Amino acid sequence: MSDANDPQDMEGQSEMTSEGVRGAYDPNEADIPTNIIDQTRPGEDPYQWHTGLRRPHGSTDAVEFIDVKKSFGRNTILNGLNLGIPDNQISMILGPSGTGKSVCIKHMVGLLYPDEGDVLVHGESVPNMADEDLFEMRKKFGVLFQDGALFGSMNLWDNVAFPLRQHTDKGEEEISDIVGGRLKEVGLAGATDKMPNELSGGMRKRAGFARALVLDPSIVLFDEPDSGLDPVRTALLCELIKEIHDENGGAYVVITHDIMSARRVADFISVLWKGRIVEQGPASELFDSPNQFVRQFLSGEAAGPLGME
Amino acid sequence: MGNTWTAVPREWIASFGEIVKFGITVTGEVLGGRVFKFFGEALRQSGILILGSALVIWGLAFILGLTCGLEGAYFNRSVGSPAYAGVFSAWCDLREVIPYAWGYMLSAKVGTGIVAEIGAARITDEVDALEVMGISSMTFLCATRLFAAILVFPFMYTAAIGAGFFASYLAVVQQIGEVSSGGFFLIFWMFQNPPDLLFSIIKAMSMAFAIVIVGLYYGYTASGGPVGVGTATAKSMVLNTVLVHLIGMLGTQVFWGQDPRAPIGG
Repeated sequence: MSDANDPQDMEGQSEMTSEGVRGAYDPNEADIPTNIIDQTRPGEDPYQWHTGLRRPHGSTDAVEFIDVKKSFGRNTILNGLNLGIPDNQISMILGPSGTGKSVCIKHMVGLLYPDEGDVLVHGESVPNMADEDLFEMRKKFGVLFQDGALFGSMNLWDNVAFPLRQHTDKGEEEISDIVGGRLKEVGLAGATDKMPNELSGGMRKRAGFARALVLDPSIVLFDEPDSGLDPVRTALLCELIKEIHDENGGAYVVITHDIMSARRVADFISVLWKGRIVEQGPASELFDSPNQFVRQFLSGEAAGPLGME
Repeated sequence: MGNTWTAVPREWIASFGEIVKFGITVTGEVLGGRVFKFFGEALRQSGILILGSALVIWGLAFILGLTCGLEGAYFNRSVGSPAYAGVFSAWCDLREVIPYAWGYMLSAKVGTGIVAEIGAARITDEVDALEVMGISSMTFLCATRLFAAILVFPFMYTAAIGAGFFASYLAVVQQIGEVSSGGFFLIFWMFQNPPDLLFSIIKAMSMAFAIVIVGLYYGYTASGGPVGVGTATAKSMVLNTVLVHLIGMLGTQVFWGQDPRAPIGG
C-alpha cells in the first residue's frame, strides 16, 4: 500500500485523532490518486458488466460492505460497493490496478472511512465505533502489508513478538514458544536475529505473515502478497497461506491481480472494477462465469471489454 | 487573480494551525499519561537521544564557550578592562550563543532525524501496521519521542551550559591568563544569577519543544514516497530554523529586554 505511483496508495490521507489515524487527515493531497483513467468509451454505461451477482458461499459474512462510497477529491474510488467476505474461507478481491482494492482493506480495519454506506465486521459498524472499540476490534485482524511493514528498529524476533508483548500478559517463555512456532511455520526459524533490512522481499513478507498470525486473528488481510515475488516464491507463499488457513481457519482476504494465485488459493472470488463488484461467488463458479468482463479478467485475455485505454 | 498573492501566506497560516493542533494532540497524549503504556519505548528513545546527540551538543557548546571566552578576553583587553572578561563569558554562554547553538543542533540532528524516522515508517506502512495491531501510532511514535525529549533535554542543556562555562574559564584564565581564577569568577557570577539560568533553560526548552513537535508533525504526515520524506525533512529544517530565531528573540526580549539583570550603572 505504499507505492507512491500506485493509484490505490492512500497513505497520508488519514485523519489525526487523539487515538491516532483515521479518515482524511493530511492536507497535502500528494497521494490522492489522480492517474485513474476512465476506461469507459463514450456513450457506454461504465457499469454494464456489473451484474452485482452474489452467488451463495454457504457461510456467514465476516466483513460486509454496504453501498460504500469513497472519494478523494474529485476521484471516486468506491462507488456503491456491496461486498461480502465469507467466514472460514480464503477470499480474493481481484481487479485491475486502480480499482480500489487497497482502499477496501483500509476500510475494513478503519484506517479509512466511507463517505457513504457502512462497513460491518462481524456485524458491527466500523465507522460508528468509538476509538477504544476500534482499537479493540483491530485485534481481530492480522494484516500482511505489501512489503511486510516490519518495524525497522527491531529484529525479526522482536517484530513478531511485538503484538504479543503489547496486547497480552503472556510471559517471555510463552511468547517465545508462540513466536518460535510461527517463525518455524513460515520457514524463518533461522533468521530471528536479522534486522528487516537484512531480509529479502520474500522473507519480509513471510515475517509479516508470522507477525499477522501471532494473536490468532479471526480475519487476516493480505495486500498483494505476490507483488515483487518471482513465480516460484509466489506459488510457495500461496501454498503457505493455504496450509496456515487449513490449520487456523478464519476469514482470509487476499488482494491481488494475479490470476494464478487466485486459482491456487481462492475459495471465494470478488471481481472489483470502478469501485463496484462486477460479480462475486465461489471460485469454481466464477471461473466459469458467463460474464464477459469476469471471463476476460480471470483468463487474462487481451480480447474483451477491459481495454488499455 | 486578486487572491493569488494571499494564497501562499494563507497556506502557511493553515499549515501552522495544523502543526499547533497536532502539537496539542501529542502533548495531550503525554500529559494525559497514555504515553506510559509505552514507557519502555520512551526510555529507548531517551537512550537514543543521549547516545546520539549529547556528546555532539556538549562538544559544540564547549567550542562556543572557548570562542566566547577568547572574544571576551581580547575585547575587554582592548578597552582596558581585562578583568571584566567574565561578563562577556557569562552573557554570551548563558543568554545567546549556547541557546542558539542548541536550537540549530537540535533542528539539524534531532528534528530532521525524527522526520526521517517517522516519515520512513509512514511510507513503509509501519504506521498503518501499528494502527491495525490496535496500537495508537500517535502515542507509540510521537508521544514517546516527545516524552523522551522532556526527560532528557533539561539535563542535556544544563550540562551544555556547564561545558560552555568551563570552556570560557579555560580560555580566559588558562589560555589568555590575564585574569586570575578568583577575579574571573567574581565578575562571572556577578553578572548572572539563578533566575538567568532558569530563563536560559526556558528559552532552550521552548526551542526544543517546537523543534520536536515540528519534526513529529512533518514525519507523521509525510507522504509521496522517499521524495516526500526528503521534502518533509527539508521543510522541517526551514521552519525550525525560523522558530529557533523567533523563540530566541522573544526569550531575550521577555527575560532580559526590560531588565538586563546586570550590576551596571549603579
